[in-house]
Amino acid sequence: MSMSNKRKAIDIAYQAITYLASSVSLLALSMIVYFVWSNGSGLLNMDLLTKDYHAKYYNGEMVEVGDYSTTLRPSDLDDDIYYSEQYGIGLSDAKDREGNPIILVEYIASDSPMLKLADRNSEDIIALEEGMLISKVAFFDKATALRTFGAEYMVNELDSATDFREIVFTSLGGGIRGSIITTLYLIGMTMAMALPIGVFTAIYLNEFAKKNRITSTLRTLIDTLTGVPSIIYGLMGLAVFVPLTISVTPATSGNLISGSLTLAVILLPVIIKSTEESLKVVPDGLRQASLALGANETQTTFKVVLPSSIPGILTASLLGIGRVIGESAALIFAIGTAVKDDISIFGKSTSLAVHIWSMMTDEPANIELSSTIAIIILMIVLVLNITVKLLSKKFMKPMQ
Amino acid sequence: MDKQVFNIKNLDLYYGKFQALKNINLTIEKNKVTALIGPSGCGKSTFIRVLNRMNDLIEECRIVGDVHFHQDDIYHEKFDVIDLRTRVGMVFQKPNPFPMSIYDNVAYGPRCQGIKDKAELDEIVDKALKSAALYEEVNERMKESAMDLSGGQQQRLCIARAIAMNPEVILMDEPTSALDPIATLKIEELINDLKEQYTIVIVTHSMQQAARISDTTAFFLMGELIETDNTDKIFTQPKMKETEDYITGRFG
Repeated sequence: MSMSNKRKAIDIAYQAITYLASSVSLLALSMIVYFVWSNGSGLLNMDLLTKDYHAKYYNGEMVEVGDYSTTLRPSDLDDDIYYSEQYGIGLSDAKDREGNPIILVEYIASDSPMLKLADRNSEDIIALEEGMLISKVAFFDKATALRTFGAEYMVNELDSATDFREIVFTSLGGGIRGSIITTLYLIGMTMAMALPIGVFTAIYLNEFAKKNRITSTLRTLIDTLTGVPSIIYGLMGLAVFVPLTISVTPATSGNLISGSLTLAVILLPVIIKSTEESLKVVPDGLRQASLALGANETQTTFKVVLPSSIPGILTASLLGIGRVIGESAALIFAIGTAVKDDISIFGKSTSLAVHIWSMMTDEPANIELSSTIAIIILMIVLVLNITVKLLSKKFMKPMQ
Repeated sequence: MDKQVFNIKNLDLYYGKFQALKNINLTIEKNKVTALIGPSGCGKSTFIRVLNRMNDLIEECRIVGDVHFHQDDIYHEKFDVIDLRTRVGMVFQKPNPFPMSIYDNVAYGPRCQGIKDKAELDEIVDKALKSAALYEEVNERMKESAMDLSGGQQQRLCIARAIAMNPEVILMDEPTSALDPIATLKIEELINDLKEQYTIVIVTHSMQQAARISDTTAFFLMGELIETDNTDKIFTQPKMKETEDYITGRFG
């Protein structure tokens, strides 16, 4: 009786440990999700994903004097919005992140002349949009209305003048479109380089290489490379790939190509290892059956072994893409940290992860936007995971 | 005219330092079923893999002696092993269809030899499946995965896959050891039909099976070929004491 009781107690203790361990890991994951969600969900909207990061300055003037708006103040406009009937725009006072006063465009009537202004710096027609900031309106015969004088003053000055000399306004900025595009470029270019090289290396190692000292040395080297900190790969990128790309492409500094090359080197051991694992579990009976039918080694590898290991290669790709999205240390060296809106593969720009790094090293650190980007990264990784699971299931079916 | 398909003389086979086959002398005759029997580890599976050079895949395997397929020394350095394997097919112990459709499984071998014509492949596949007594069961679902077939059907598919190459010899390495009695019976009937066209060498654990299906039986023990004779003779009046002990169930 005491024997079986003792065994029961031990069983319960072991089970309790497993429950406890799972709870701790679940708690840690929930805390991360809770932290980024509570900090970053407020900024999460489509504008953030599609807008430029840097504010753009516009400098416009009236195309035709006297072409005024005839729209009356809409009744649903809030009381703190000042409405210029002549120009059909509603403005309000607000504060930017540093606490400076700004004037925000809240409403524009459909017949407002502000919708087609002549750009004073080019031939283009530019438009004031809701959500933009007006810095100042300068007149011909009276003092300029600066943003520091407030929205009410600016509206009064506008309505009491027949024309103005120039209006200076800016887009809000702060969007991460550029970083998203850069990340997609990096994923595409890195995978295009690392996946074929990695898969073919794995095939060579597992299917063709003789079991000798050279092969085992190569394996050891690849294993070692998996553990090298990414900042060291970044140094290599800076020392090798940046000069290389500068000398053979129009690039003049760290660029997307040097970044992708660096990431490809980081990914190679990961892809080789997981592809090799998936090749190893292909039953030897299949190879023998193929060879016994008079197929040669190459036919056997590419017609039987490789198709059977596709789920493993998909998993390898997911790991690779996840690594590209998450990598920051290596990219800081290999591309740089400049947040850009116009993306060129020959120029500097920033992936989402490095964007977070840039935000957090700003003074003051922008925890809110960083958390929002973190949410986006987590969502991309989640979608990737689900996609690969579904694909693996589809490919695994004929194997069972 | 040429009744001897394989002619093996003074064959020794080593795995590293271990000698797995010792001084084997045996001829395999055309359109006969030759059964290789013996206890586990006696070298019968090793021997059958000598005949299509599947032992080449084992890096430490070394072979001394003569193995002639018709007039050709198959271990001669200029001998074309791919050609040998197209003429000597093999069926394995565990059914091992490829993870592809039934059709693609049977068409795999011919395709590897460069046959691309759809009509020609269709004909080869139909004929092979009919020869393997599988056509009636699968002709409605050629595009379905071979993995969905039962174990016995999979093994007959593997036989069809070998037949599609139109070989002279089919080697079978314990082809029914993973199957239930009914599936086993079907395979045995199939072997009986196939021997009119093909020379069959079969490794089997079951002495009853050897007695039922084979014309000639070779008894292996500890890497040596103890005795070979007509199957009837082996089972009724064996010459050697070891053979008698084995077939009467005194060991093994």
